[in-house]
Amino acid sequence: MYMTVEFWGQEFKVNIILGCIGGFLIAVASSMFGFGGGPFMVPLMTVGLGLPMYVVVGSSLLAIFFNTLMGTMRHYQFGNFDLLFFLIMFPAAILAGFIAPQIAKRVSPLIVKRVAVVGLLLLALNLLGVY
Amino acid sequence: MKRTWLSLIIALTATIFMMYQNGAFAQKPTETKAEPVKSEAKQDAKKDAKPEEKKAEEAKPAEAQSITIEIDKTSLNNGGSINVKGMAPAGKPVYLEVWAEPKVRASRFDAEIDKETGKRPYIFYITEEMPAYYKIFTPKDKKEAYEQNKKEGAKWSVSKALKDTGADVAYSVPAKIKIDRYQATLMGSVIGSRGELLTQMDEKENRRRSMQLTKARFRNIDKVLSPDVEVNPDGSYKATIKIREGLAPGKYFIVAVSDKNVKTKPITFENNISFPTMYLSNAGTSLNVMWPFLLVLGIATFGVLMGAGGGFIINPLLVSIWPLPHTVVAGTVMPTVLFSQGSGILNYSRIKFINWKLGCTIGAAMLLGGFIGPKLTEMITLEQFKFVFGWILIILAALMFWQTTPGYIEKNKREQAILKEFQKRAKESVAKKEN
Repeated sequence: MYMTVEFWGQEFKVNIILGCIGGFLIAVASSMFGFGGGPFMVPLMTVGLGLPMYVVVGSSLLAIFFNTLMGTMRHYQFGNFDLLFFLIMFPAAILAGFIAPQIAKRVSPLIVKRVAVVGLLLLALNLLGVY
Repeated sequence: MKRTWLSLIIALTATIFMMYQNGAFAQKPTETKAEPVKSEAKQDAKKDAKPEEKKAEEAKPAEAQSITIEIDKTSLNNGGSINVKGMAPAGKPVYLEVWAEPKVRASRFDAEIDKETGKRPYIFYITEEMPAYYKIFTPKDKKEAYEQNKKEGAKWSVSKALKDTGADVAYSVPAKIKIDRYQATLMGSVIGSRGELLTQMDEKENRRRSMQLTKARFRNIDKVLSPDVEVNPDGSYKATIKIREGLAPGKYFIVAVSDKNVKTKPITFENNISFPTMYLSNAGTSLNVMWPFLLVLGIATFGVLMGAGGGFIINPLLVSIWPLPHTVVAGTVMPTVLFSQGSGILNYSRIKFINWKLGCTIGAAMLLGGFIGPKLTEMITLEQFKFVFGWILIILAALMFWQTTPGYIEKNKREQAILKEFQKRAKESVAKKEN
């Protein structure tokens, strides 16, 4: 089934079944483990659905927002939410949103991504008990 | 157009959630049926327990055996050491059962094959009454048995360790906690319910299951047992109880036990904490709040820079550094991004950069996923959490690496140029409208 998506006068045909199945799986994993699904959603929509980046940035955020909202409600319902812990982390996350753009002007995104690859691999190997 | 889609989704969510809250999906009849049985069982347990206590008291003078306990401090400041000494009947072992008054939640999903029936039971056990701290100090001569059990690593079993060290005579507080158990079904998991509430377990079964929950909560053998009590041949004993940092504040109890009938009344001490150390009641851990604040600040900043939310790195770090349950970590980190996502959507929608039809359609599928995911969190152990998270991070690292390859950068440059062009046009048209 294909859905026609209109964006600033351009029309795109999107395989919506693939998008929904992919989105569903990402949502289960992300709400189960408590991370945002952005880095998986963007490749799904650009590579999987063949949409250009400028269509994806906003719409993927909207799709993820639904997941975060539902995941938050459900975690709260199951008693997994610790208010004090939230009040510690929330200001830090907001503050980071102001600091990051200041740093972003000075460092190359390529270097940040390379550091991230190494860091993520090290963390992953640690979690898998390799070292 | 966007209003129609948005209101449709919101209405749908609200309906499903209300239906769920009203218990339309839950197997309600069985739950209500289970209720009276539960209270009966509770009363029975109380009745049973009372005479036994009396018996124990009566037994003491008859045998002319008694045990005394003395502590040198009654208050601690975020952990410390307490010296315990006393007198026990000569030649008998002495166990010290120590527990905290604050209670935390512990849960375990039993999907291991039952040796008797050969089937997987799929039963979810949960209690809200596990002491935030629980430890049995055993005589020093049980060290060998303790070490033997410690060698089994993550596979150690509380019941075997208690039996081997003889500490099962002292194991009494968790044995009496109220444990709920649910029969999980595939259908139940799909609609996101814990399943059918089963009847209360008998005392013996409750004790056995409480041991598994004790392990689920405290993870390591050195958190539950410690061969530290020095018992002299004349019956005098002494021990140093170390209360580590980061434990729950409040009242703690110590009971000295020699055997089933010879035990002291609980003696109490207080554990105090002061700012910046705070107690996370849901997680059952005290910590200096500056550290998680700085950690989240650093990681979230890096997360924004690399274009992935910080949750990927924060969650595994939080469960590794502090003894926080993975359920609480996942459930608390998730809402922190809610507001940044919301403001992001607002900004994009101002310049008409969101396709509501596409976002809401995929969003509906993600809504369903978000409904199921949080329930799965409590069905897995910390080890499984870490294992799956490890693989997710490897996939993420691969995606990140792909974004640093020359082909991707070239394509991305073109796309970014178009993105900027569109953003410029969007801003201009918004400005025009406002004028």
